[in-house]
Amino acid sequence: MWMSVEVNGHIYEREVTEHWTLLRFLREDLELTGTKDGCSAGECGACTVMLNGEAVNACMVLAAEADGATVETIEAEAAKGELSEIQAAFARNYAVQCGYCTAGMVMSVRELLRHNPKPTVAEIKEGIEGNLCRCTGYQQIIEAVLDVSGQITNETRGGLKYV
Amino acid sequence: MNDLFKYRAPTSRAELFSLLAAHGEGARILAGGTDLLVDIRSGLVRPELVINLKKVEDFSELTWSQSEGLIIGPATTVNDVLHDAKVRDCYPLLADCALTIASHQLRNRATVIGNIAHASPGADMAPGLLCLGARVQIASQRGRREVPLKDFFTGVKRTVLSHDEIVEAITVPPGTAGSRGSYRKLKRIDGHDLALVGVAVTSKDGAVRVGIGSAAPTPLLIEGLTDADPADAVVAAAREAIRPISDLRCSKEYREYMIEVFVRRLLEEVR
Amino acid sequence: MSDTTVSSVATRVGDNVQRVDDTAKLTGGAMYASDLVFAGMLHAQVKKSPHARAKIVAINTSKAENLPGVHAVLTGKELDYRIGLYVADKDILAKDAVRHFGEAVAAVAAESLDIASRAVDLIDVEYEVLPPVLSQMDALDESSPLVHPDLGSYDYVKASFSPQPGTNIPNITKIRKGDIDAGFAEAKWIVKREYTNPSVQHVPLETHVAIVEWKAGDEVTIWSSAQSPFTLRDLFCRAFKLPHNKVRVVIPHVGGAFGGKAGIHLEPLLACLSRKAGGRPVKFQATREEEFSLLPCRSALTYRIKTGVDADGRITAQKLLMYWDSGAYADYAVNVTRASAYSAGGPYDIPNAWVDAYTIYTNKPWGTAYRGFGHVEFFWGLERHMELVAQVIGMDPLEFRKKNLLKPGSTTLTGEKINEHTGDPLKCLEAAAKAINYGRLTPEEEERQARTGRRIGKGIATLHKAPAMPSFTTTAAVIKMNSDGSVVVNIALTEIGQGTATVVAQMAADRLRFPVSLVKVAVERDTDKDPFDWQTVASKGLLLTGNAVIAACDDLLRQAYSDAAQVLRAQTADLDHDAERIFIKQRPEESVTFAALSIGYVYPNGNGIGGPLIGLGRYTAQGLTSLDKETGQGLPALDWTYGAHGVIAEVDPETGEYKVIKIASAFDVGKVINPGTMRGQCIGGMIQGLGTAQCESYIYDGHGHLLNPSLTDNKILTSKDLPEEIECIAVETPQLDGPFGARGVGEHPMISVAPALANAIHDATGAELTHMPVRFEDVWRAIHNEQPIDTWVTKAPAV
Repeated sequence: MWMSVEVNGHIYEREVTEHWTLLRFLREDLELTGTKDGCSAGECGACTVMLNGEAVNACMVLAAEADGATVETIEAEAAKGELSEIQAAFARNYAVQCGYCTAGMVMSVRELLRHNPKPTVAEIKEGIEGNLCRCTGYQQIIEAVLDVSGQITNETRGGLKYV
Repeated sequence: MNDLFKYRAPTSRAELFSLLAAHGEGARILAGGTDLLVDIRSGLVRPELVINLKKVEDFSELTWSQSEGLIIGPATTVNDVLHDAKVRDCYPLLADCALTIASHQLRNRATVIGNIAHASPGADMAPGLLCLGARVQIASQRGRREVPLKDFFTGVKRTVLSHDEIVEAITVPPGTAGSRGSYRKLKRIDGHDLALVGVAVTSKDGAVRVGIGSAAPTPLLIEGLTDADPADAVVAAAREAIRPISDLRCSKEYREYMIEVFVRRLLEEVR
Repeated sequence: MSDTTVSSVATRVGDNVQRVDDTAKLTGGAMYASDLVFAGMLHAQVKKSPHARAKIVAINTSKAENLPGVHAVLTGKELDYRIGLYVADKDILAKDAVRHFGEAVAAVAAESLDIASRAVDLIDVEYEVLPPVLSQMDALDESSPLVHPDLGSYDYVKASFSPQPGTNIPNITKIRKGDIDAGFAEAKWIVKREYTNPSVQHVPLETHVAIVEWKAGDEVTIWSSAQSPFTLRDLFCRAFKLPHNKVRVVIPHVGGAFGGKAGIHLEPLLACLSRKAGGRPVKFQATREEEFSLLPCRSALTYRIKTGVDADGRITAQKLLMYWDSGAYADYAVNVTRASAYSAGGPYDIPNAWVDAYTIYTNKPWGTAYRGFGHVEFFWGLERHMELVAQVIGMDPLEFRKKNLLKPGSTTLTGEKINEHTGDPLKCLEAAAKAINYGRLTPEEEERQARTGRRIGKGIATLHKAPAMPSFTTTAAVIKMNSDGSVVVNIALTEIGQGTATVVAQMAADRLRFPVSLVKVAVERDTDKDPFDWQTVASKGLLLTGNAVIAACDDLLRQAYSDAAQVLRAQTADLDHDAERIFIKQRPEESVTFAALSIGYVYPNGNGIGGPLIGLGRYTAQGLTSLDKETGQGLPALDWTYGAHGVIAEVDPETGEYKVIKIASAFDVGKVINPGTMRGQCIGGMIQGLGTAQCESYIYDGHGHLLNPSLTDNKILTSKDLPEEIECIAVETPQLDGPFGARGVGEHPMISVAPALANAIHDATGAELTHMPVRFEDVWRAIHNEQPIDTWVTKAPAV
């Protein structure tokens, strides 16, 4: 199928394989490999991207469905080579380890903060529930979201204790 | 490149119905896609044609009126329902059920009607919609018909729908607006999981209704109970209705036990 | 004290330095093996066995071969290579028999993934299905079918392992300490119980991926998500009898590993496909489902513990029987068996001990290394047992543990003497206990219990682990100065998320007295360019590589000082340096910059001296020995990292549902290099440990079909499953031979989380849990004394 889609501000016109997911289209046709494939079954969230401004699992959308749509991926998050506020907060709070879940995680945090600029810890957990991370145990990601939303206090700031 | 299936996105009902009529069993409806794409990937279904119905005009409607109650369209997502002020006002139970489905980004795609039409025994929207007396509006080239939700399911992933039919809307009658109700779901973890059992209980004007998922080949509705019935009687009615199995998620005994606990606790909550 | 500021200009070990790899990972720019594409690249797909045990009667590949776009089709018949880490028992593709569900029987390389998938569907395999051996306890029975009838003919590492031909046992490890009979004779109480764990999956977010190109002249290049480039190269070359200088292994960013990517996996198969396809690169990425059974898992364990305790509550003797389910191949399971055997008693002083640890073949996906290397599994039994013994003898479980902890002067099961520098298990245990207010409920907890009707309980558990590695394990580091005075460090320890690159940069910066911003640790590993490292496993990287990096820095400075001494007409002893220049101590204005020395110094008249500054550092584990095969005595431990967890759990006594209110964990790491990365690695491990404790498990039917190879039915914890409070505590008892006094903590956070949780649930409800995971239903059954749930689904549902 011939389709036209805006991805990260660029219009792409392509013949798309009709059974391909948006995830395969982004990674294999457009070579935007920042979006990761962790399960292809909507369970892990590694492929989370913004479709018409809403976070979706790119593995659960057919590429053809994005005909005429606007897509944003992690590659557009750091404008002009500068980390976005979310990305900088992730870096400050050690919210990255192996990095494979990171792109999807950042997308989900963006979606959360769009609806809810000062989420509670419970709301943050709800917001990133669909993004599995096997390395961090999520804690420092949650702290990064508290940080970027201006809610870090001495009580919520995580720290290693020494005895 | 060979396509495993063809894709079409009709923009009118007429086009949609004629595609369905022409392709019969070989066609599958793509609404949210969150069940269909999983089933295609695992080889469970092998459609020749996938029909995206989200582009059909007015299919994303979600409306409420005093006269007709709630009307949920085929492209209405679970998050649409979850965040709808009218739903929260009149049928908070539906928002409860919606919140337990998968994750936020999946709920951005998954549709309420898809959750029902996929007819999984554990469909999270089913217990609530059953309790609230939902009705299923079915349409095809041949015409329209209406079926009460409790008569819609015929087995595991089976419904009364013919291959050329779609669910055009689910309607929730105004009469059950304002029901006191709550949904309890047994999961393996706090995070997103399927229902090992799901129980909804509502109370309105003295009538008590119990909806149960993952306890039989289809979601169940237990009606004809009243506020005057003792909890033991409600539990006995539930026990009579359910046919749980043991599987890799949970044993039959635990399902039976937890349904009983949930029914008791929910009754206390809604009365 | 808490870590609050993050810096990239710090020079000191112990500071919060920002991760050096986070910008690439946060922007999507970091390339993983799954992201790599090469010209002419083909895609592989694998035909997998639907049976646990069967004879392969015939395979028909002709339809697949004739499909346009297919470049190579392979079956086991044409491949005559044996692969195996310690016991060479595995064919690249199953030859005459399949030994587990999901085993590879044929493979295809084609121009696209879609064509390869279609080709695999066109391969017909005729099987004669045989009854499988599914339980390792059944496999010990003399009448059991043999998973490997030819075990006696396989090559194996003779110094460490003892296969038993004619049985299903590829290894037995024995440890004998003291006089077990005399020890039991002294005991007032003898407590005997059995504890079990199922197999589980690592679930790295990135599944296994590799691309292999086998060009003419046997020039092989492997790009892989593997943890250990040099071990991969070594095993590959051994299988194919190729010289090491013909095979290059490249490891880009790795999306999590946890032990599952150690050793060798898909690379030999892809190599054969590439060779058959005329040298085109061939790529394969496992699907999430394949990750569960085409690739390996963690072994199941049955642990029988018999403990004698005297009237004072001291352990007098312990008999420890371990039955490790290796699945269809020995892989790492034989070494998990060995490493677990010598750690089997935990951080306790046990005067008389007897350990028999068996590795046992079954017809299931095979077990490999997994974070903790056996310790997560056996500490489940051991630390539950300590709780149950304390209950039997009427002593508080914390007191019972403290009374029996190792202390300076104690000896381990293998005869190693513990001293005050080994680490402090008592300090860890007390810190964890204190952090949860062990032994009582606070007024807030009392109030919460009254309000919710749920019961709150508290549990503790200890842990220890030493790296499981060869006694002579060695590594090297190279540090090269650029012409602007900045440096690049090359090591072969891979960055798999644990933060190696960051702490190596920090250690190098500290040793050089440079800001961290001047130090780059190269990300991609390449066996043609990087110095040797054995493997990125076993929590040994920080100590071994750290020491090598320090030596490399010293070597670089030595060269720089020598050249500077010549330039400044001084003796090296008269020199000092800062981040920019080397100067004369007495007259700092007389100096030469590192930049001027970095690639050879040039005098004003054009004369050059010196040359590129390149430091080399090597480090080899010191003083370790093999273990005696009959008694297990010897020195296997590079270092012991001790730790302890405290867990507060809240249980619904009616339903068995529970949640974790708090987890507090303390580890004696010797010296914290980076508080932020250490805390992150520890919390990650603690939550992974909670996952394994709460819900993770392979579930089979009675035919050996794996029923839950997906994240739908093999749940791992999400953000919503976190405890309400998580506390991570560092204890710093310096390791005298550790870099800056540090020792590793990669695996430890995951160990003993499960028993700490179960001990808390036990405390809350009296539930005597002996099987992992602890699902809500298990708690319900334990509380209501129903039959435990059949975690083995013996009555096969229709599949």
